Amino acid sequence: MTADFGIKIEGVSHAYGGGQSGLASGTLALKQTDLLIRHHEFHALLGPSGCGKSTLLYLIGGFIPVQIGSISTQKGPVTAPGPDRSIVFQNFALFPWKTVLENVMYGLQKKGLPEAECREIAQAHIKLVQLGGFEQAYPSQLSGGMQQRAAIARTLAVDPDILLMDEPFGALDAQTRRVMQEELRMIWKKRPKTVVFVTHDVHEAVFLADRISIMSARPGRIEHQIDTGLGPERDESTLTDRRFVELGEQIWRLVREQAVLASRGGL
Amino acid sequence: MSTLSALLKREGLMQALVLVGLALVWEASSRAGWVHPFLLPPLSDVLVRLFTDMQSGAVFVDLGLTLYRALTGFVIAAVLAVPLGILMARKRGVQWFFDPLISIGFPMPKIAFVPIFILWFDIYDTSKVIMITFSCFFPIVTATYSGTSHIDKWPLWSARSLGASESQLLREIILPLAAPSIMTGLQIALPVGMITTIVTEMLMGGSGIGGAMIAAGRFADSVGVFAGIMEIAILGMVVIRALDRLRARLLVWHPENRAH
Amino acid sequence: MAGGDLHPASATAGHGSFVEVVAVCVRYLPLLIMLAAWEMAGRSGLVSQQMLPGVGAIATAFFDLLQSGELVTNAWRSLSRAATGLGLAVISGIAVGLLMATRPLFRTLINPLVRILYPMPKSALIPLVMIWFGLGDASKIFLIFLGCLLPVIVSAYHGARGVNPFVIWSATSLGASQEEVLREIILPAALPDILAGCRTALAFSFILMVSSEFVIAKDGLGFLIGSLGDGGNYPAMFAVILTVAGTGFVADRLFGSFVNHCLRWKEQA
Repeated sequence: MTADFGIKIEGVSHAYGGGQSGLASGTLALKQTDLLIRHHEFHALLGPSGCGKSTLLYLIGGFIPVQIGSISTQKGPVTAPGPDRSIVFQNFALFPWKTVLENVMYGLQKKGLPEAECREIAQAHIKLVQLGGFEQAYPSQLSGGMQQRAAIARTLAVDPDILLMDEPFGALDAQTRRVMQEELRMIWKKRPKTVVFVTHDVHEAVFLADRISIMSARPGRIEHQIDTGLGPERDESTLTDRRFVELGEQIWRLVREQAVLASRGGL
Repeated sequence: MSTLSALLKREGLMQALVLVGLALVWEASSRAGWVHPFLLPPLSDVLVRLFTDMQSGAVFVDLGLTLYRALTGFVIAAVLAVPLGILMARKRGVQWFFDPLISIGFPMPKIAFVPIFILWFDIYDTSKVIMITFSCFFPIVTATYSGTSHIDKWPLWSARSLGASESQLLREIILPLAAPSIMTGLQIALPVGMITTIVTEMLMGGSGIGGAMIAAGRFADSVGVFAGIMEIAILGMVVIRALDRLRARLLVWHPENRAH
Repeated sequence: MAGGDLHPASATAGHGSFVEVVAVCVRYLPLLIMLAAWEMAGRSGLVSQQMLPGVGAIATAFFDLLQSGELVTNAWRSLSRAATGLGLAVISGIAVGLLMATRPLFRTLINPLVRILYPMPKSALIPLVMIWFGLGDASKIFLIFLGCLLPVIVSAYHGARGVNPFVIWSATSLGASQEEVLREIILPAALPDILAGCRTALAFSFILMVSSEFVIAKDGLGFLIGSLGDGGNYPAMFAVILTVAGTGFVADRLFGSFVNHCLRWKEQA
C-alpha cells in the first residue's frame, strides 16, 4: 500500500527521424537514461536546449512511444496519455473556443462525471489558482499568467497522480514568473503530487524542486542528481537563503559545462 | 524489402500511383460497360481525340482565342485597377468614393451582368472582353489597395527623410513594397478571367474552347466534352505555372523567394 | 488573401449611436451619388432609355415581377438548388478535409483527386453535367456541389493540420479518445479556416447557380434573366440582375456576421 515510487525510468533511449530502425539512423535525443522519481516528489529536469528533457517528459506522458527501455508508474507501464499523468505546456494549450470554466471542466467530463459535479470541481480549482471571477472569459481575453493558471487548474482538476510541466513559465515575463513559482509551491503543498518540472532556469529549479536531475547536452543523459534539501516552506525569503544561493552557484557550474556544449551543437 | 517500404513511404509516389490506378479504373469500367460509354467514354478515346485535335490545330485555335480574350480583358482590368488601387490607398477622397462600390461588387456574382454587357455591346468579342475586364477588376483593385495601404511605414519615412520626392517615393519605395500583394491579386484575377471567358463563350456559343465544349454538349459528343475538359485543365495548369514563374522572376529580391 | 472588405465588417453598426449611423451613411453616400447620376443619364437623354433604363423604371418592373410571382417562384427554384448543393458540399467537405488531415491513408487516396480538380474551373463542367444529368435540377445541384466542395475540403484540411499539437496532446492527456479529439478538438480549432472556405464556397454557389442557369436554361433566376432579355423587357431584366447581385451581396454579409458570432472567442486582432 505504501507508495515506494512515483515514476521509474529504466534504460530509456530515444531517437527522432529514424523510422522503423529508430536508433540506427535518427538523431539520438536520449541515451540510456535511468531515473527514479519518488512518490510526491517535486522533481526538476534541468538542462540546456536540445538536451532531451522535454522528450523525456513526453515519453513519461505517453505522447511518444518508448522505443528502448521502460517507463512505469504505480499504475503500471506507460503506454498512452491519460489523466493520471496530466501535462501543462509552455504555450498553455488551452482550448481557445472554450471559456475558462469549460476548459477546466473538460477532463472531468471525459471522466464521465455528472455535469453539476464537473462544474463544482472546476470552480473549486479555478479559485485554487486565484482565477475566480474569470470563469466566463475566453483565453484570448486573459494575460499569459492567467492563461497558465487556467491550464494548471485544468490539469489539477482531474486529480492526476503525476503532474508534468514543460517549461510552463517560459512564455511569461520575469515578474509574472516569480509570482507563479511561489503560487505553484503553495498549490503543491495543498495538493501534493509527484511533479516532473522541465526547465532551463537554474534558479527556478532550485526554488521549486526537492530534487534536480541535471541533463547533459544531446544526446541527453542524466549527469548529476542533487537534493536541494531546502525544505517544504519556500517563499521570497528563500531566494536570499545562503543554501539557496550556494546551491544555485554549484548547479550553475555543473550546468554551464553542458550549456556550452549545447551551444556548440552537442557531443 | 526495405527499399519497397521506403518507396511506399514516399507519399508523392503513392499519390501518383493512385492517379494511375484511377485512370486504369476509368478505362476498364468504360470498356467493360460497367458505366455507359456515353456517360464516361474510354480514357483512350478521349486521349486520341485530344491528339487529333492537336494535329488538326483545332485545339490551338480554340485555346488561342479563349486565351486572347482572357488576356485582353485581364490586361485592361490590370491597367485600370492597379492605378486605382494605389490611388485609393494614397488619397482619402478616392478611397471614400470607390470603397462601397468595390466592397459591394466583390461578393456579387458578377457573371449575372453578362446579359447587360450583351445588350450594351454585341454578342461578339467586345462584350466578352468587357465582361472579363469587369470580373478581373475587383480582385486586382482589392489586392492592390490592401497591399499599398499596408506597407511598412519605416522604409517610407526613411526615404522621405533622405529627400525623396513624391513620385520617386511612389516608384521606388511604394510600388516594390506593394508588389507582392499586387502580384497575388493578378495571380487570382487571371484564372478568374479565364473562367469568365469560358462561361461567356458557353453562353454565347461560337468559338473558343467554351463554345466548342457547349457545342459538343449539345451534340451529345461526350468524347469531345471530356477532351475539352482536359484541354482546359492543361491550359489552367500552364497559366498558373507561368504566373508562378513570373512572380518569382519579378519578386526575386523578396524574402519569399530566398533560395533555400 | 485579403477578403473583400476594405473596412472590417462591423455588421453591428447602427447599434443606436447617432455617430455610427451617420458614419454608415457617409460611407455609402457614393452609391447614392451614382444612383443619382444613373437617373440623370437616362433623363437627360445622354444614354438611351433602352440601354440603361431609369432607376424608376427598374423599380417598377421589380415590383411587377414580385406581384406576378415570377420573381419569387424562380428565386425559390434557384436558391433552393444552390442551398442544396452548398449544404451537401459543406458537410461532406468538412468530413473529407478532416479525415484527410488525420488519416494518412485517406490523404494518399483523396489528395491526387483534389489536386486535379481544384484548379479546374467548375463552370467548364457545365457541358459535362448536361450530358450526365440532362437539363433538370440534378445537373445544377451536382455542379454547385462539386464547385463548393473543393474550397471546403482544402480549408478544412489546412485548418486541421494547423491545430497546435499541444492542444491535441492536452486533450488526450485529459482522457479524450481519438474520435473525441477529432470531433471536440480538431473541428472547433479548424473552424476559422473552415468558415473562410465556406465563405468562398458561398460565393461560388451563386456564380455556378447563375452560370448553369444561363446555359442550361429551364427555370430559375438565370433563366428568367435570359428570357426577359430575349423578350426585350430590359427594365425587368435589369431588375432581376440587380436582385441576384444584391442577394449574393447580402448572403455574403450575413455569413460574415455569422462568422463573427461563431468566432467571438478569437482575439480581436
